[in-house]
Amino acid sequence: MVVIWAAELRRAVRSGRALVLLGLYSMFSALVLLVVGFVTRELQAQVNDKLTEVGADAEATARAADELHRGVLGFLTSNDTAMMEALAQVPIVVLVVFKITLFFLPAYIALMGFDQVSGEVGPRSIRYLTVRARRSSVLLGKFLSQATLLLALVLVIDLAIFVYARILNPDFGFGVLVLNLLKFWTATIVFSLAYVALTTLCSSLFRSPAVSLVFNFILLFVFWLMDSVARASSDTNLLRFLRYLSPSNYSGNLLHPKLAEFAGSGAAYAAFAAIFLVGAYGVLRARDL
Amino acid sequence: MSDLAIELTRVSKHFGPKVAVNAVSLQVRQGDVFGLIGPNGAGKTTTFSMMCGYLYPTEGSLQVMGVSPTTPGALKGRVGALPQDAVLPPGWEVGALLTYWARLSALPQPEHEARGALEKVGLMEAWKVQTQALSHGMAKRAAMAQALMGSPPLVLLDEPTAGLDPRIAAQVRQLIKDMKGTQTVVVSSHNLQELEELCDAAAILDKGSLAQAGTMSELTGQGAEFRVQIARGDVIIPEINALPGVTDARMEGPDVLRVRFDGQAQKAEEVISRTVGHLLQHQVLILGVSRGRRLEDRVLQLL
Repeated sequence: MVVIWAAELRRAVRSGRALVLLGLYSMFSALVLLVVGFVTRELQAQVNDKLTEVGADAEATARAADELHRGVLGFLTSNDTAMMEALAQVPIVVLVVFKITLFFLPAYIALMGFDQVSGEVGPRSIRYLTVRARRSSVLLGKFLSQATLLLALVLVIDLAIFVYARILNPDFGFGVLVLNLLKFWTATIVFSLAYVALTTLCSSLFRSPAVSLVFNFILLFVFWLMDSVARASSDTNLLRFLRYLSPSNYSGNLLHPKLAEFAGSGAAYAAFAAIFLVGAYGVLRARDL
Repeated sequence: MSDLAIELTRVSKHFGPKVAVNAVSLQVRQGDVFGLIGPNGAGKTTTFSMMCGYLYPTEGSLQVMGVSPTTPGALKGRVGALPQDAVLPPGWEVGALLTYWARLSALPQPEHEARGALEKVGLMEAWKVQTQALSHGMAKRAAMAQALMGSPPLVLLDEPTAGLDPRIAAQVRQLIKDMKGTQTVVVSSHNLQELEELCDAAAILDKGSLAQAGTMSELTGQGAEFRVQIARGDVIIPEINALPGVTDARMEGPDVLRVRFDGQAQKAEEVISRTVGHLLQHQVLILGVSRGRRLEDRVLQLL
C-alpha cells in the first residue's frame, strides 16, 4: 500500500496534474477572495458613510464596525458564542472564503480523483497491479495519494489566503495567523477526507472515468438536496432527519474551540469516509477486472 | 507437494447470458510450457484471465500454485502475467514503471530486475521513454518484461508475439524456450506453428468448451501415427496393415500413406523402419517420412 501510495503521488506530481489542480483551486479561491473582499469593503464604506451623515464620532464608527463584524460572524457560526469568541480575531474574509470553499471543495475533489480507479479498470492497466498487490492495497494506496495531494494543495491555498488577509489586516497577528491556519487546514482536511473517499467509491463503481465523474456529481447534488430539504422542513416533518445523511451537515463544528464539538464533527466525517471506503473495497473486491 | 502448477476443475464463466467458458477442466504440470489454443471467442483469454485472478469463475474450482488466484495477495511474487489488452498506465517512464512494479512484487533489487527484464526483451533504449510514447510492439515488449521480472515460478503470457516483428518474435520464443523446465509457462496464441514449437502440452478450446487437452505428442499423434510421401510405385495396403504393430494404414490422397500404430506397445522407430523397409522391397520410392501431423491440422480437424 505504501509503495502504491508513494508511486501514485510521485506520478501525480511529475505529470503536472498537481500544478493544474493547484491552478484551478487557487484561481477559484482568488475569485472568491476578490468578490468577498470587494463586498466587505463596499459594505463597510456604506456603513461609514451613514455614520458620517448622522455625525457619529470615531468611537461610534469603530463600535459600528465591530457590530457589523460580530453580526457577520454570528451568521457564519450560527451564533455559537464559543466559536464567535475563538474566531473573533480572524478576518471575516477568511471565514467567508472557508465557508464557500467547503461548499465547492467536494466538486473539486471529484474533478481531482474521478479516474483514480476507473481510469485503470477501463483500460485494464489495473491488472498489472493486482497480480502484485491486494486490491485493498491498490485502493488504499490510491485513496491516500489523493488525500496527500489534497492536503498539500489545501495547505498552499490556505497559506496564501491567510497571508493575503494579513496584508489587508495588519492587526491580524502572526501567532493568531499560524494557529488559525493550522485550525482551518485541519478542519478542511477532516471535511475533505470523506469526499475523497466518496470519489474513490464512485471511481470504483464504473469502468468509464466520465461516468464516474457524472455519478459523483449526482451524489453531491443528492447530498446537497437532502441537506436543503431537511433544513426547509418543519420541526415535525420527518424529512428534517434527512440532513443527518448528508456529510455537509457536520461541517458546522469543524472550527469549534471545544474539543468535544470538533471531535463529534470529526467522528461523523471519519464514519462517512470509512463507509465510502468499505463500499469502494467491496465493489473492487467483487468485480471482474 | 503437487506437481501441478495449475488445475481447473469444471470451470465456467458467464458474462450475463453469454457463456464464455463452459465446464473446462485441465491441468498444467510444473516446468511445462502449456499452450491455450483456439479461434477467436474460444475462451482462451477468459480462461487466462481467471488463472491470473482478474476474473472470478462463475462455477468450478481453479487452483494456481496450490491456491485460488482470487485469494488476496496469494500470487504476489509467484506469477508473472502478460495480459492481452491491458494498456500500460500513462505518465510513467518505462524504467520507473518497471522498477515500481518490481518493488511492488517485493523483489530485492527492483531497478536491477527492471533493467535485466528490459534487456531480455531488447528494450533497454526505452528506459527513459514515456509509456504513452511507445509503439505497439515496444509496449508489448515492455509488458512482456514486467512479466519476466524476478523469474517467477509461473509465467502466463496472452498472445506474447502478436504484433511483434519476426526478429523480436523469435527472440520472445527463445525466451520462452529458455524458461522451459525451470519455470511453468502458459502461452495463449493463435500461432499454432509457434505453439507446436514451444509447448510440451496444450488445451484446445472451442466456443468456451474444451475440445481436447494433452501433451503435444498426443495432440499431434507423434507417438502413434506417421505419414510417408510416395514418389512412385504401388503401395499394397493389406500387406502394410499386416505388419506388426500397425493398426491402420491407408492412402490419404494419391501420394501420401498414413500409418497408425499402437504407440504403447511398439516403438515408433521400429514401426517406421518396418514400413519403409516393406515399401522399398516392393520398389516404392519415397520422398519423405513425417511423424504425427501438424498441430494446425489437428486443430482444424477438431474445430
